[in-house]
Amino acid sequence: MSFLGPIPLAVFAWVAGGATLLAIGAYIIKMRRRRFEVPFSRLWQRVLEQRDASALWKQLKRLLSLLLILFIIALMLFAALDPTLGAVDRQARSVILLFDASASMKAMDGSTLAKDPGDTSRLDAAKAAAKRLVDGMGGGDVAMVMKVDGQATPMSRFTGDGPMLDKIIDGLAASDTPADLPRALGAAADALRDRKNPLIVVISDGAFPEQQLGQIRWTPPPAPGSAAPPAPPPAPAASLATVDLSGIDVRYLPVGHRSDNVGIIAFNVRRYIANKAAYEVYIEVQNFGQEPAHRQLTLYNGETAVDVRRLDLAPGQRLHQIYAKLPASADDKLRAALRPVEGPGGSDPFALDDQAFALLPAKKKQKVLLVGAPNLFLEGALLVYENIDLLGRISPADYDARPAAAEGADVVIFDDYTPAVMPPPPASLLYFHPTGAASPIAVRGEVASPHITEIDEGHPVMRWVTLTDVFMDKTDAFAPDPRRGESTLAFSVRDSVIAAKRDGKRKILAVGFSLPAQGRDSATDLPMRVAFPMLLVNALDWFAGDQTDLLTTYATGSRERVPLDGVVGATEAEVKGPDARVTHTPVIDGLATFYASRVGYYDLQAKAPDGSVLARVELAANLASTEESDIAPSTKLTLGGPGGHPLAAPEAFAITHSQQLWLYLLLFAAGLILVEWITYHRRITV
Amino acid sequence: MARSTAAALRPSDKPARPAGARANPAADRSGLFDDRFLKTLEHLHLVSRKVFTGNLRAERRTRKVGSGIEFADHRTYARGDDFRYIDWNLYGRLDRLLLRLFEEEEDLYIYLLVDVSDSMAIGAPLPKLHYAMQLAAALSYVGLANLDRVAILPFADRLLGRLPPSRGKNRIFRVFEFLRTCAIGGQTELAECMKTFVTQNKRRGLAVVISDFYDPVGFEQGLNTLRYNKFEPFVLQVYDQREAEPKLHGDLALVDCETGDTREVTVSKSLLEAYQREHEKYCKELEAYCTRYAMPFFRTHTAIPFDQLVLKIFRSGGFLR
Repeated sequence: MSFLGPIPLAVFAWVAGGATLLAIGAYIIKMRRRRFEVPFSRLWQRVLEQRDASALWKQLKRLLSLLLILFIIALMLFAALDPTLGAVDRQARSVILLFDASASMKAMDGSTLAKDPGDTSRLDAAKAAAKRLVDGMGGGDVAMVMKVDGQATPMSRFTGDGPMLDKIIDGLAASDTPADLPRALGAAADALRDRKNPLIVVISDGAFPEQQLGQIRWTPPPAPGSAAPPAPPPAPAASLATVDLSGIDVRYLPVGHRSDNVGIIAFNVRRYIANKAAYEVYIEVQNFGQEPAHRQLTLYNGETAVDVRRLDLAPGQRLHQIYAKLPASADDKLRAALRPVEGPGGSDPFALDDQAFALLPAKKKQKVLLVGAPNLFLEGALLVYENIDLLGRISPADYDARPAAAEGADVVIFDDYTPAVMPPPPASLLYFHPTGAASPIAVRGEVASPHITEIDEGHPVMRWVTLTDVFMDKTDAFAPDPRRGESTLAFSVRDSVIAAKRDGKRKILAVGFSLPAQGRDSATDLPMRVAFPMLLVNALDWFAGDQTDLLTTYATGSRERVPLDGVVGATEAEVKGPDARVTHTPVIDGLATFYASRVGYYDLQAKAPDGSVLARVELAANLASTEESDIAPSTKLTLGGPGGHPLAAPEAFAITHSQQLWLYLLLFAAGLILVEWITYHRRITV
Repeated sequence: MARSTAAALRPSDKPARPAGARANPAADRSGLFDDRFLKTLEHLHLVSRKVFTGNLRAERRTRKVGSGIEFADHRTYARGDDFRYIDWNLYGRLDRLLLRLFEEEEDLYIYLLVDVSDSMAIGAPLPKLHYAMQLAAALSYVGLANLDRVAILPFADRLLGRLPPSRGKNRIFRVFEFLRTCAIGGQTELAECMKTFVTQNKRRGLAVVISDFYDPVGFEQGLNTLRYNKFEPFVLQVYDQREAEPKLHGDLALVDCETGDTREVTVSKSLLEAYQREHEKYCKELEAYCTRYAMPFFRTHTAIPFDQLVLKIFRSGGFLR
């Protein structure tokens, strides 16, 4: 027998002593009786004298009554110690109920009925199972509820308050993200550090990538009562991401039973580089079930259905759908939806991956003004790009005479000419060989026979551009200042040859060398290379904020950095999610941190202190996770990857109610009180 | 305890007090003898005449030998005796002078001894005292109407007054007035009261004792005093039915209404049954005692109308011969 009650022995002794003294005192003190007048008390006296012959028995009865009360008190105090019989000799546990709140827990196959009505999600089943565990907690046990989706979120502190835990469990909701199990187990291990009898119960469908399970190092703790095996030498962590759960008892409680699901696992859209009025769409659909499946795939542009087709998928088949040369409309929102069809294999319990969202990158036709001497290379290259509207060319003298000529232009290209007066924002500027103090980026000096040794491939201007063997006889070297938003895009060893600058809402690109033209003594073969038009197109797209490599579709649960075009100085952006909830996210170096917990469209806005919008970008988020779409529940969960240790079956965690005696003791005490009450009022024990 | 027994066994939140120190619930006797009561008495008188037709009334035989007409005995002639009473026939036969003796006829004295102690104040809806007074008044009326001499003597721990013997129906209103106004209350001390009674009343007669006989020292000595002094005791025991069968329950402090003695009891069903047996036994003891010494005995409770009891007494022949 063991005692689970939280009452310290000293306190218990005081309470027991006090209760005993109180009971004895109650028997000793004289009872206040009602007074009645009788005409002849001698008759009563005679009766009582006869009865006094049995006074010994009467006193004995009174003594028995006192002993009965003391016995009842002892029973109740004993029950307060929460005694248990049998093998439950454990001490109080610290339990973390780790709820898988990932997307797959939204699958509506949580019912345990033979005929699943489809009205119970896996999360609902997990909640019910967790409540049973909470009900089975013994005295001194404390538990914490933790939610794991793309993040690990503790939902409570350690507490033994069952109703509060139940309430917290009821309030849990699944997100649309995959689960990050190592992160959650790591957080749970941290929370359980220095606690006795730590226990983690993972309540999940087991849809975790092997890579995640392989990051966890765990060995089952020895069974209670068995000799502890010799402690293995501490193995060095395989990586910093490895989560060590040594010394923690980890159990697994699986939920869900169906595996049939067809989901969209990829949905991307892009504009054609050459023709931004058209776009193409890529959709990938997979049947994760063991039976053939049939669906209707509909592609929407805004609210308009662009394409409807029927998909017949074999078990496990992954189908790629490409929609080419679709004409763009005013609405840049695209949506793909899988519809169930009649017949077997026509539907599944997991609806979240049946639709996906995407956004077409913004398209804008820019007005370009060329300032400089006639230059066929430059003008020719601009002519091939149909997404610009070339306003024409003016000479530097004309510009000097009338700078306002640049008004209305989105982009002004200064070819081997550095004006004293810049066109006003928001016109973006492209300089070839800027010189002097008017150079948008300070010129540090001249470099002879430079070779491009390094480019910033991450910058949109340098996308697909190769400058490795470009010849030039000389170039100016810039001295970019990062604090002013200036950066180098191409280096000649350490000299900045091409530099970019964000200046408020506009952008500036400066190329240190001149293009070949009549009357110039500079020489470069760049115009002869493919890189030249690419560089120009990229620069113009960058100016327009129309980056073809800008991802507008993200997966939920992943943390991404999204460039906010032209934002300098803002430290925070506003995020409006599909549920219309507004949150804030930090912006560092013009990049906003984006984390999507729901599928749908998001709106990011960076605002100036005066409330004006500095930059805005729309994004779409999809589940896009084969691990989550593969909803087949795993009855076993093995930590540590192949060769790891499977988690114990949930039955092992069950705390047997029958071994706890307090309820029976209290019922017995209540029965004795009832007997005492009856015998007292029937004047048997008095 | 049931409220219905409240008057028979009165709850009291006060400690026991000396007898007579509290207000007596039976003190108000103004409504005892109304017109209806008087009519009942008249009816009783008529009925009693019918029942005892043929008997001589107001001419009671006594054991005294005197100038009556009923022969009683002979005795030897002694010098100085009246020659007129010598039985000459016997002298002729026996040659002895014997004197004829006759029973003397005289007025009957009826003494109504009414217990007015505190214990008699108990009873519901009619206190025993009121019942006893109505009974005494009824017997008085019958006695007065039959030309007996009726005296009333209330008693408790002593005699609390005396209505001198009188006869004639018209005296009944004095009886009523006396019973209304006589002092009441006190402990029952039957022996002492009877002792005083026999001392103060030399004329022998019928001594009707109306009481509950709840005397801590017993009833025997009091009744014996009457017997030993040539009175003819006539015992009427009055009790309240709920005295005999109280409906008590629980932990109580029982206070004697006369002595103030307190006794703590836990009343259970068995204890109640034992008390009822004891009460019955006490009454039987009184009855057995009276029977043994040829004292007419009647026991009644206050629920029986007093006129029925009076008729019962007449029919039994114990009160009037």
